[in-house]
Amino acid sequence: MQKKDKTRRKVLLGLTSITGLAGLPFAATPFIAAWNPSAKAKAQGASVKIDVSKMQYGQQIQIAWRKQPVFVVRHTKESLKNLELSLSKLDDPNSDKIEEPYKNINATRSQSKEYTVLTGVCTHLGCSPKYYPEVEPKAWDSSWTGGFFCPCHGSMFDMVGRVFKGMPAPSNLLVPPHFFDGSILTIGEDGGTA
Amino acid sequence: MNVLNHRGIIFFSLLLLLVSFDVFSAEGGPCKDYGECDAFKPQLNNTESLQRGASVYLNYCYGCHSLQYSRWGRVAKDLKIPDEIFFQNLVFDDSIKAGDLMKGSMSKDESALWFGVAPPDLTLVSRYKGDDWIYSYLRAYYEDSSKQYGVNNLVYPGTAMPNVLLSLQGKQKLVCKDAPLLASNGREQRDDMGNTIYKNKCGFLEVEEGTGKLNKTEFDQLIYDITNFLVYVGEPAKAERERIGWYVIFYFLIFTAISAMLYREYQKDYH
Amino acid sequence: MSQMISSVFTWVNKRLPIANTFERHLSKHPVPKKVNFWYLFGALASVALIIQIVSGIWLIMPYENTEEGAFASVEYIMRDVDYGWVIRYMHTTGASLFFAVVYLHMFRGLLYGSYQKPKELVWIFGCTIYLAMMAEGFLGYVLPYGQMSYWGAQVIISLFGAIPYIGESLELWVRGDYYISGITVSRFFALHVVALPLVLIALVFLHLVALHEVGAGNPEGVDIEEHLDEDGVPLDSVPFYPYKVLNALVGIGVFMTVFAIIMFFFPEGGGYFIEMANFEEANPLVTPEHIAPVWYYSPYYTMLRAVPDPLGGLIVMASAVAIFFVVPWLDQSKVASIRYKGIYSKIAIALFGISFLTLGYLGTVSVTEVRKTVSIICTILYFSFFLLMPIYTSLEKTKVVPTRL
Repeated sequence: MQKKDKTRRKVLLGLTSITGLAGLPFAATPFIAAWNPSAKAKAQGASVKIDVSKMQYGQQIQIAWRKQPVFVVRHTKESLKNLELSLSKLDDPNSDKIEEPYKNINATRSQSKEYTVLTGVCTHLGCSPKYYPEVEPKAWDSSWTGGFFCPCHGSMFDMVGRVFKGMPAPSNLLVPPHFFDGSILTIGEDGGTA
Repeated sequence: MNVLNHRGIIFFSLLLLLVSFDVFSAEGGPCKDYGECDAFKPQLNNTESLQRGASVYLNYCYGCHSLQYSRWGRVAKDLKIPDEIFFQNLVFDDSIKAGDLMKGSMSKDESALWFGVAPPDLTLVSRYKGDDWIYSYLRAYYEDSSKQYGVNNLVYPGTAMPNVLLSLQGKQKLVCKDAPLLASNGREQRDDMGNTIYKNKCGFLEVEEGTGKLNKTEFDQLIYDITNFLVYVGEPAKAERERIGWYVIFYFLIFTAISAMLYREYQKDYH
Repeated sequence: MSQMISSVFTWVNKRLPIANTFERHLSKHPVPKKVNFWYLFGALASVALIIQIVSGIWLIMPYENTEEGAFASVEYIMRDVDYGWVIRYMHTTGASLFFAVVYLHMFRGLLYGSYQKPKELVWIFGCTIYLAMMAEGFLGYVLPYGQMSYWGAQVIISLFGAIPYIGESLELWVRGDYYISGITVSRFFALHVVALPLVLIALVFLHLVALHEVGAGNPEGVDIEEHLDEDGVPLDSVPFYPYKVLNALVGIGVFMTVFAIIMFFFPEGGGYFIEMANFEEANPLVTPEHIAPVWYYSPYYTMLRAVPDPLGGLIVMASAVAIFFVVPWLDQSKVASIRYKGIYSKIAIALFGISFLTLGYLGTVSVTEVRKTVSIICTILYFSFFLLMPIYTSLEKTKVVPTRL
């Protein structure tokens, strides 16, 4: 075979291969994209808005977001002051070990000074901790100064969801992205002033 | 036997002739008493038309007819309407979020009770009835005192739907008019003097002057916009589909050409 | 690096006959050197099958195989799943093109006598694939649960009822309910998604193995095995790889261009690929004005409608498909290809083609007296092509087939 033919062959083979291969990522795109969260998933996973102005001081409410319970606590001035009392019991008082969206802004771990927003899922194995705001001795802690207690394996957290030392739970309760617009709390987004 | 030789072509042309003969002697069409549906050409890239159509639909139609497979936020995005404007002006329920489906505001059971049949969901009406059907239907209402709501429709005789756009179109009646007689070749018949021969025919639709907020041109444009919007809602991906299509076809044409050259080159080995 | 690849390859090859298989079926598999475009449709059918499987797998993911959810889930795919509409249209276009390509592939078989000895079994496997495809297409069309899905299923399932004695119980058993319902949908789903695809893949494999055992034909009907070179390789052959692979590539390019034109610009095929009525959710209380199957069943639907008796219609329809199986024994001709057959065969196949197309057209329109007469005539012509074949192929004067390609 002539050398020219050999080169022509190589060129054509190369061109065909390149053209074919170039089409592959485009052909794959719909199949890969189809696995993205669909409009239905995005709608169901969308942020939740709630007016928290009617909440009483010291009250905790529970809201569903992305199939998880989210705790919203409206603190009394006293319970915010009492946070110092449990400081020595805490494993990670500054939330250094976890992803903390609103770090070092307020004691509430939120951008709000009076509300705390927490994902109500125990960081041990996923049970929902219960809210015990009263400052009184409890069966699980004789010097309880208010917080959350998980009934499944006994993990204890303070009023802003920080885990005690030596607990089955390895870390503080997580804070979901959220923001306040007046008294409207939006859970799921950071909002304008993140 | 090479199918593409002249004998094959004759056979296929004969077949085609037979088929067309059969097709054109067909019986009653989808637009029933209206005759042939008026031709409709959608313009899915005409954003203004789609926006007007959406606005009219949401104001006049959505009260009864849901669009249950469509989502609010998607409509706003595809029609390039900013969210605030859309949700403030066209969404009449505060609890509706952008990701929600347009499930409608009427209960199916109650509306079935009121109208005899629940007003159907219209998300796909442009696909199972056709855009020309919709365009004709919405303009074919006429006064008919023998009917429940005082109106009937040439495209859908006996329809249970009232004439919602009556105030915009005005009162349309079925009238008898002197119309030119048409010869078999489609042209107007003429008498010995060359004048057109007229005959009094009935079944024409005519709007009573001054009874509607819009004139004929404006009303037809309104119906065009609604129909255009319904074509969009029927298949929101249509515009994108056709846009991408050009690139894909171009790619395969190139691929075919290059692989043909490669094949020819290798054919030299044994040809 | 290449040494490592080479040693890995040798390790695998000692345990799995990759190199041997590649040679036997690709690089050293002799095929006739001169064929025409009619010989590309087999490869295109494989491509269509792969497209159906891949797009089908992706459709299963968001699809809901329940009565309540089916129709809505298809719209969910079209709107809410990113590029879901691409995958859906790929599947509907693929279905129609799969049949188009297979019909052309079958016609090639009739044209060039591809069923003649020793390829009878290849042909029989092929006919079985066709039968399985018809079932697969029907089952798949029910799944979107539109008006045509429901009423088409109603018509076809009631055909079972026409069988004497066992008909009614059979009908009930197929449906799994007293009327078509979600129970029917979910069992059709299992058959369409798992059972028949497995059957199809197995049959295609057998079809190809049987073909490779005896070797492919050619438009001249020449037996290339008659003239071998010193190494026993047919003189008029070329190795399948790379020559026919490259040929197939061009065919695939054309096929995909057509595929893209339809998929992106005419996915509904004017109402023939996705029928308009199927954009309305199934309503057992409202029968559509025209119940018609998708275009690829059309010829048989016409035959069904041409016979007044339901059982008679079923028998005629079933025979029309079954008769394909026995063609190798109906054709008594000494030559394989239409090029060398006599005038009778040429007229017969032309009439067959025309009547098949006419029957196809008539199935898409409503019945009138004239159309009914024409469908009866075409049905007779269709069957005559087969039933008279033993006669006209033995009587006619054939031309002398060349010895070499």
